[in-house]
Amino acid sequence: MADRTPPVKSGDKLALLLGLVPYLIDEVRVSVTQAAAQFETTPDQMRALVGYLIGTGEPGPDGLYLPQGLFDIDWDDFEQRDIIRFRQAPLDERPRLSAREAAALLAGLQALAALPGFAERDDLERLMGKLARGASGEVAPVAVQTRTADALRETVAAAVAAGQRLRLDYVTTRGERDEREVDPIRLESVDDVWYLRAWCLSREAERTFRLDRMASAVPIGDAEPHEPSTADAGELFRSDADDLLVTVELPAASLPLIADYLGPEDAVEYAGDRAIARIPLAHRGLVGRLAARLAGVGAITEPADARAAAAQWAREALAASGEPLD
Amino acid sequence: MAARRSARADAASARRRVPPEQRQFNLILALMATDQGLTKHDILSTVAGYSERFEQADDKERTALERQFERDKEDVRELGVPLETVDQPGAEGDTRLQRYRIPKSQYRLPDDVEFSAEEVALLSLAGQVWREGSLTERSRRALTKLRAFGHAVESSVIGFAPSIRTREAAHDPLADAIDRRRQVSFPYLKPGLAEPELRRVSPLALVNHEGRWHLHAHDEAADAPRTFLLRRIVGTVRAEDAPARAPRPDEAALAQAELQQLFERTTATVVARPGSEADVVLRNRAGTVVEGEALIVRTTDLAVLADELAAFGADVRVEGPESVRKAVLARWREVVRAHG
Repeated sequence: MADRTPPVKSGDKLALLLGLVPYLIDEVRVSVTQAAAQFETTPDQMRALVGYLIGTGEPGPDGLYLPQGLFDIDWDDFEQRDIIRFRQAPLDERPRLSAREAAALLAGLQALAALPGFAERDDLERLMGKLARGASGEVAPVAVQTRTADALRETVAAAVAAGQRLRLDYVTTRGERDEREVDPIRLESVDDVWYLRAWCLSREAERTFRLDRMASAVPIGDAEPHEPSTADAGELFRSDADDLLVTVELPAASLPLIADYLGPEDAVEYAGDRAIARIPLAHRGLVGRLAARLAGVGAITEPADARAAAAQWAREALAASGEPLD
Repeated sequence: MAARRSARADAASARRRVPPEQRQFNLILALMATDQGLTKHDILSTVAGYSERFEQADDKERTALERQFERDKEDVRELGVPLETVDQPGAEGDTRLQRYRIPKSQYRLPDDVEFSAEEVALLSLAGQVWREGSLTERSRRALTKLRAFGHAVESSVIGFAPSIRTREAAHDPLADAIDRRRQVSFPYLKPGLAEPELRRVSPLALVNHEGRWHLHAHDEAADAPRTFLLRRIVGTVRAEDAPARAPRPDEAALAQAELQQLFERTTATVVARPGSEADVVLRNRAGTVVEGEALIVRTTDLAVLADELAAFGADVRVEGPESVRKAVLARWREVVRAHG
């Protein structure tokens, strides 16, 4: 499905005008730079917006734009001191949110409510009610339920908040158990997967750890400060050093099933209604897992030793369950 | 004085080639200034952005301008501006006599809805939950409007950053269809089946449960409520002409509660190799209960759970129910067959 929405959205610019006008009126007298910072525009863009407003207003009863219906500013303030001060404004009301705008923030608040420290706050509940009342229509239904806090997440969150060093008993996707000492930076989540971004003392580098791979996390004293990097959690988690590249083939319609294996820049080619995708895997141990995901719809086609490893992986799984091959 | 004149001249010349958002803003101002409303002709002949083009327009140009006006109405309403259409009594549906207006009382935020600096900070954090798609766009626009309160809208500096992706292509068209109350059809790959089936439904609510997006809908063919995983909608979502059933009040919350109940009562029993990755991950999984050496794991869909368990290979053994045990074994046999 192609994105049908145009790249530059006038909706965003209209929302900006609707928010900007009551702000400027409310502030009474505000510098161009401050208004620009508040609405994340450049000072030049802000001057242009004010320039536009001065030329507009509401038409009078006979359909003519008369001076008393127009926005008017203090010209000396604007031109000599770069300050915006309206003397007259036909519109000074703060706009409501659309039902879907309110719904998007409401659902975001629901996700926040699952965070350690947020669940017991009653101000979230009040804020949700306020959002619904601030919407111009019935709020369209979107609901988010993330995991209720568990003991492990509470421990990690407390360590982030208090700056405590943690000792982790961590299991890697290779199935290896590792004991790591880390200084926590941030607790992040993508969908329902939680990640701890932390400075790893044994690797002397920033690393991301999945909470569901921690057999235990124990605070062991104060953490030291480290300079955090700005990389995305997903990027940090994706290993790139010794990637194994495998080719898979499946019906194009089934591609969404492996969406989480495909990076944005991973190549997908199409042959009729079949899709051929090249997928980087962090290590050979993940071949079987990918093959299982494709079970019934597709297969790994290359390299040959990855195919063999996938078949062997599945044979071992059947044997461990005491099952024959067919 | 020269500078002043030139600034005014700039404003005048900017009005001649009017960008869409400025034409729409002019429209909003005009429709808020009127009590009895303006007809389409009033608007096109007077509101800046239309009127310059309307004066010299031939028939073709007028039709184009009218279409422009129709789109502008949509765009303005999309932002939550209550643009009303009022029929002329005795001439209902006659678009030439209809009047348009925006009641100020419904445009502006109610007096008791004010947002403090702390609340705006919380809402900007809430807006950052979304990674892409229409939820991001709408959060951004909502926050732009809330900037009117003069409080900082900025990235979180607290140590927590939750995010939810909406990367399934079906998400936005479904949200649209729910909004417009249209039935939709889409190819759905039911868990455990190889071929997608075409489903036709009244979409009712989008629900994110345990990190997965679900569509709660009324299946028109089965004439019964159904829940679909967005990840398994494997083709285009087509909006149909037929109107959709109305959602119950609180549809999303109800659907979510139903999913949670389903999750609580749908379980499988698994034994994981002690100390293995499967053992750690399954113990940490939401809702897991440890019973001796067995782990009781929960799901909303046993076929989806079978996929998840099959990924652990030799580190797991499914004890039951039989359908899950068989489904996991079947996936492994498929892998052997497809790679042998």
